[in-house]
Amino acid sequence: MNFSDETVMAYADGELDPASRAALEAAMATDPQLARRVARQRALRARLRAALEPVLDEPLPERLLASVRGVPARGQAANVVALKRQAAPRWSWPQWGAIAASLVGGVLLGPLLLRAPAGPALVTRDGQVLASGALARALSEQLASHQPPGAPVQIGVSFRARNGDYCRTFVLREQGTLAGLACRGHEAWRLEVLAHNPAPPATAAGYRPAGSALPASVTHTLDELIAGEPLAAGAEAAARTRGWQP
Amino acid sequence: MLLPRLRRFARALAADVNDADDLVQIAVERALTRGAQLRPDAPLSSWMFGIVRNAWLDELRARGRRARLFAPEESAEQIGDASQGAHADLLAVQEALARLPEEQRAAVALVLIEGLSYKEAAHIMEVPIGTLTSRLARGREALQEMLGETTGALR
Repeated sequence: MNFSDETVMAYADGELDPASRAALEAAMATDPQLARRVARQRALRARLRAALEPVLDEPLPERLLASVRGVPARGQAANVVALKRQAAPRWSWPQWGAIAASLVGGVLLGPLLLRAPAGPALVTRDGQVLASGALARALSEQLASHQPPGAPVQIGVSFRARNGDYCRTFVLREQGTLAGLACRGHEAWRLEVLAHNPAPPATAAGYRPAGSALPASVTHTLDELIAGEPLAAGAEAAARTRGWQP
Repeated sequence: MLLPRLRRFARALAADVNDADDLVQIAVERALTRGAQLRPDAPLSSWMFGIVRNAWLDELRARGRRARLFAPEESAEQIGDASQGAHADLLAVQEALARLPEEQRAAVALVLIEGLSYKEAAHIMEVPIGTLTSRLARGREALQEMLGETTGALR
């Protein structure tokens, strides 16, 4: 069987469907020439990655941190000529916080979310973003199957991650458009992702089923982490009783 | 934490450290001032990679204009005295990347270095998947040729 260069590349990139992958792997076992072609593609990929890898460990230049920090204070980061200045940032604080947080981790979230009307929903500790206040309470106490009407936090699905931790998706209704996923560590809920949510989770009149209307980045993280199926109501209640410890 | 990955992507595009950080800074400011529109269907990281790339395309256009207006300037070479081996290979890889056409370089950087899926990379570059894979294939062949089959540095 002949495999095109593009097929060999797609295999090296993990992009082949399972059937083609199996066919190629079977052929590779008896065809050293094909195995060499695959190895060549993998070697290039590994070399490029290794060459650029050290960039990840470089200290972040202060000017980049300042630009993440500086924009909402208006006009502080105006030293970049190419940027067409907008009149003013139009993100709300939580949206801005979510973007800034994903850029630099937890560094800037604390002071930002302190300004949220209901107090901080998030705090940072040792470079991690942890749930706090009403969010932490809801993650620990609220069952997806039994949510108080008008609760500020709406829990989506609860599940076991592959590493055994319990994780839950949530929507911050009060802040309108923030959704995220948190996993339970020993002492706190650690945020894995926090995203701008395009659709409000529920209207005044209606209730949406758990797990619907989450931003793609949240569902993507859920797919990456989840082991098996989401917890059913009984398993969820049992996990709460155990304090969400594995 | 997205910033280090954005810096790595920018470095693959622009090679020079300061140019690369300029791109990231522009992208951060565009993102936070909403100079670019957030696409709710895509992860935030894809959106940011797309903004970095667009900033790079703007920069290339601006360089084209400057090159027509001014005599070409010698680019100041940065000689790092960092550890020889790894640094030499970074330079060799960056030199090879710099010789690729921009669209091949972006495809290589997103898929081979950032490890994104074809779908995500095509989305960021705003091209169909078939276009992405053919750019990627051409970029790969050119890099294999430039970098050679061994790990020897390009000299």
